Amino acid sequence: MRFVDEFRDGALGQKVAAQILGLVDPGRHYKVMEVCGGHTHSIYRYGVDDLLPANVELVHGPGCPVCVIPMGRVDDGIAIASEPGVIFTCFGDMLRVPGSHGTLLDAKARGADVRMVYSPLDALRIAKAEPDRPVVFFAIGFETTAPSTALTLMRARAEGVENFSCMCNHVTIVPPLRALLDSPDLRLDGFIGPGHVSTVVGARPFTFIPADYGRPVVIAGFEPLDILQAIHMILAQLAEGRCEVENQYKRVVPYEGNRRALAAMAEVFALRPHFEWRGLGFISQSALRLSDAYADLDAERRFSVPGVRVADPKACQCGEVLKGVIKPWECKVFGTACTPEHAIGTCMVSPEGACAAYYNYGRFVTSSGGPNL
Amino acid sequence: MTECDSHAGRCITCGDVGVEMRVLAIADGLARCDADGEQRDVEIALLDDVGPGDVLLVHADVGLVKLG
Repeated sequence: MRFVDEFRDGALGQKVAAQILGLVDPGRHYKVMEVCGGHTHSIYRYGVDDLLPANVELVHGPGCPVCVIPMGRVDDGIAIASEPGVIFTCFGDMLRVPGSHGTLLDAKARGADVRMVYSPLDALRIAKAEPDRPVVFFAIGFETTAPSTALTLMRARAEGVENFSCMCNHVTIVPPLRALLDSPDLRLDGFIGPGHVSTVVGARPFTFIPADYGRPVVIAGFEPLDILQAIHMILAQLAEGRCEVENQYKRVVPYEGNRRALAAMAEVFALRPHFEWRGLGFISQSALRLSDAYADLDAERRFSVPGVRVADPKACQCGEVLKGVIKPWECKVFGTACTPEHAIGTCMVSPEGACAAYYNYGRFVTSSGGPNL
Repeated sequence: MTECDSHAGRCITCGDVGVEMRVLAIADGLARCDADGEQRDVEIALLDDVGPGDVLLVHADVGLVKLG
């Protein structure tokens, strides 16, 4: 397949790995964070970390929207879904994220009409097919997904679909990165930047990382060779004393991003003053709400929601995993009380969560330091 | 591709998933697109001059990039 097969060439991967080995200082330990959950998934699926020298450590970042959604927001969604007559739509992973009183799937089992959709457009189609019932879309995701929600709300407005509304949980990528860089318990040497988020926002928003924090960033694609090359580019910057934003994923990511997507987001959304991230706490201006111009399509204004902050379960160490402080297998409930089938923490729910990715692909391998469960 | 389930596949938003799709036809501002035999209606408002035969990178039924 075009743009796929050539980026999964094992022999070429070995060559890049050998070049990486030639770049590293044996006396130094390198920590590189992949920001995006898609990268985390690929790293475990293809065993990218097993090709790296022992002193190059990949740290898994907070770039999985389902993993960072706090329990209180799940409770708010369940409250709306439980309203009489409501059709509540969301991406599949959200169905199994635990709130304080169960998941959206549990709510569905209790009689709520909760439906999985592939896109906001699918939710709008349901609204048009069921004009007598309120249809709510639980919007979640970074800047890659936010334009899809924005365009759908613009379409709903243009077509006069009055029974459609949106509970907005979109988050933005830069504020959590700044929070991580300000965190005293984490030392990182560089970042693998998110590939598809960057198709929307471009490369410019990441320039603060080299400018303010002196760390290189390489925006990367999602195939194993993309990730290996990005790691090579980061280590080359470090070896040469350079520090900048580079774009490994030029076949897809334009430096300026997508201006129309940014304009649509600016029209439909406004920044929330603060938003809670699981494991990272409240981060200022890190999430989106519907703008005043689209307030009539805001499900949180149409329905009553508890809006209560709920603490994570004590056994759950998702916060430390999301900050890269511990590895998934170092969590005390990993693979025992917490599994993909019965997740306690969000990192085990999404296949892009670090815990689920490691559980699904890496738990039988001990070379990267994990237990042979 | 329509699955967004933890066991069957990948979550499009968590995985930042982009799917390469070929445009078959355009109607009502949406492009009918195909990937490996599966067809979806894709929003093309973010792109210029999309026509049949073009290949798009699609996320959540929105074309983000026209691929060369």
